[in-house]
Amino acid sequence: MAVIQMSGAANSPENSDCSTDELTAYVELVLDENASTADKEVDSQDQSESFRTNETEGSTSEGSKGKKLVAVSSVEECVHPGSMEGICISCGQNLPEDYGLTVGYMQTGLRLEGEEMSRLSSSTMKSLLNQRKLCLVLDLDHTLLNTTSLIHLTSEEMPLTTNAGALQGTLFVLENMNLMTKLRPFVRTFLKEASEMFEMYIYTMGDRPYALEMAKLLDPQEEYFKDKIISRDDGTKRDKKDLDIVMGTENAILILDDKEEVWPNHNDNLMLMERYLFFKSSCQDFGYKFKSLTALQRDEDETNGALSKILRVLKQIHSAFFDNLQGDLIDRDVRQVLASLRLEVLSRCVIVFSHNFRSDLRPLRNMARRLGATCYTNPDPSVTHIVATEFVTKESRWAVQHNKFLVSRHWLEAANFFYEKQPEDNFLLKQDQ
Amino acid sequence: MFFHIVLERNMQLHPRYFGRNLRDNLVSKLMKDVEGTCSGRHGFVVAVTGIENIGKGLIRDGTGFVTFPVKYQCVVFRPFKGEILEAVVTMVNKMGFFAEAGPVQIFVSNHLIPDDMEFQSGDMPNYTTSDGSVKIQKDSEVRLKIIGTRVDATEI
Repeated sequence: MAVIQMSGAANSPENSDCSTDELTAYVELVLDENASTADKEVDSQDQSESFRTNETEGSTSEGSKGKKLVAVSSVEECVHPGSMEGICISCGQNLPEDYGLTVGYMQTGLRLEGEEMSRLSSSTMKSLLNQRKLCLVLDLDHTLLNTTSLIHLTSEEMPLTTNAGALQGTLFVLENMNLMTKLRPFVRTFLKEASEMFEMYIYTMGDRPYALEMAKLLDPQEEYFKDKIISRDDGTKRDKKDLDIVMGTENAILILDDKEEVWPNHNDNLMLMERYLFFKSSCQDFGYKFKSLTALQRDEDETNGALSKILRVLKQIHSAFFDNLQGDLIDRDVRQVLASLRLEVLSRCVIVFSHNFRSDLRPLRNMARRLGATCYTNPDPSVTHIVATEFVTKESRWAVQHNKFLVSRHWLEAANFFYEKQPEDNFLLKQDQ
Repeated sequence: MFFHIVLERNMQLHPRYFGRNLRDNLVSKLMKDVEGTCSGRHGFVVAVTGIENIGKGLIRDGTGFVTFPVKYQCVVFRPFKGEILEAVVTMVNKMGFFAEAGPVQIFVSNHLIPDDMEFQSGDMPNYTTSDGSVKIQKDSEVRLKIIGTRVDATEI
């Protein structure tokens, strides 16, 4: 310990702070001088002996003759790969508060410059690919779980706060946040099996405290998500999600989310999930009028629900990526695998939509085409399916006359969610609809 | 680096503390208020070592509180850019490691860790040389040089 005793009040000027400042300035001056002479000494030594720096950080000297030295950039040469609390992590210079991309979710206070982020993403991705792993970004709300505020509980749901009954282990009350959360059926098995194929991230529009609480419920042993939880407080854009702060390359990342619009730049990586709506208030939030699962007193099927089906598809994609594609791992593209898989779903279907879908027509058509279906405007003998809003449209009548499948849009949407043509019988439009 | 300096502070005391224990109350309050705090100028106040002088108390208008200017000696700790310090490693991850030198938190980025040391993840993440001779992990002692400091309201 270096202790420098300062003179007592009697000898120092009235304002003691003044002498501290003087001493501070002196210390800084001396340290600066030492720093530059130290540099010079190292340089001259360098020619004659190898100089090992095991514990000293930031020893200078551009390595020469194959010496294993770290080269700390002088302030002028430094590319500032990132900042920690506003200080460059390589040269110590002050950097602006909004420098680069925020990766606070991984390490508080850390920001990384764009190129550095790309470099790290590539090298992380390479190492994952070598372990036969891709990257999976998971949304929380309505994808893996459903949360509601305690004040929005219906009278039927209220008893659940004290007695979870059959839902024990999947229903949790978070008193300090005034929330109740229901985990989606199959979620624990899903996470366990997916973790063998994917490096997983949580990306939610909830705030950070909420995200961390949910992670505790889903991953109590911190095996899956430890420093890979991205909340809206960590994202770069206010109300959108992006893969810019995910440590992976776009060609090897898949996203599971129930909302398309939050991923404007990564539609090709997105696998849209069927919304999980357990609580009445959640159904109402989306403007749905059907009964919530609590009202119906049942839950999504565990072994045949959305998560289970999506897991099967993920296994298919994983296998196709690693076993069927040719070329270097880093050059393969999971988006291509996804697109090809989609094209097979309705590949032998020829669809005509009823004319009254209006603004929904184009998105539905695009969905059908992405799934490999052919779409016509007017019915003809090659048509296999009519997708209509109700039984009494012109196209519906044609379907009945010619004995073609007459289905609602949900048939198409289900195929989109589950990557499989669904039995038409579950979606037929009937006389009284 | 540690310093032993004299600082001054205006202490406000509630009348309930007046009486024969006034000075002791004042000193206890000073210690409670000041020890463990930090400022950009002096660094962390580690401990109050003695009272130099307590000035005349001024009664504040409108309340019964009295303000005493107190000069006190204390040990402070302040890191300097360029200073060499010894620290204990508290956390290691792939971005680098955190170490503590007393009350000061230090981050060392992987950019500044020697190239021949590689990150190894696991139960006890660490940076190790290729021949395994040097290992940096939690609770290891390291000697390092400060390249930049930042002060916020509560810490450095």
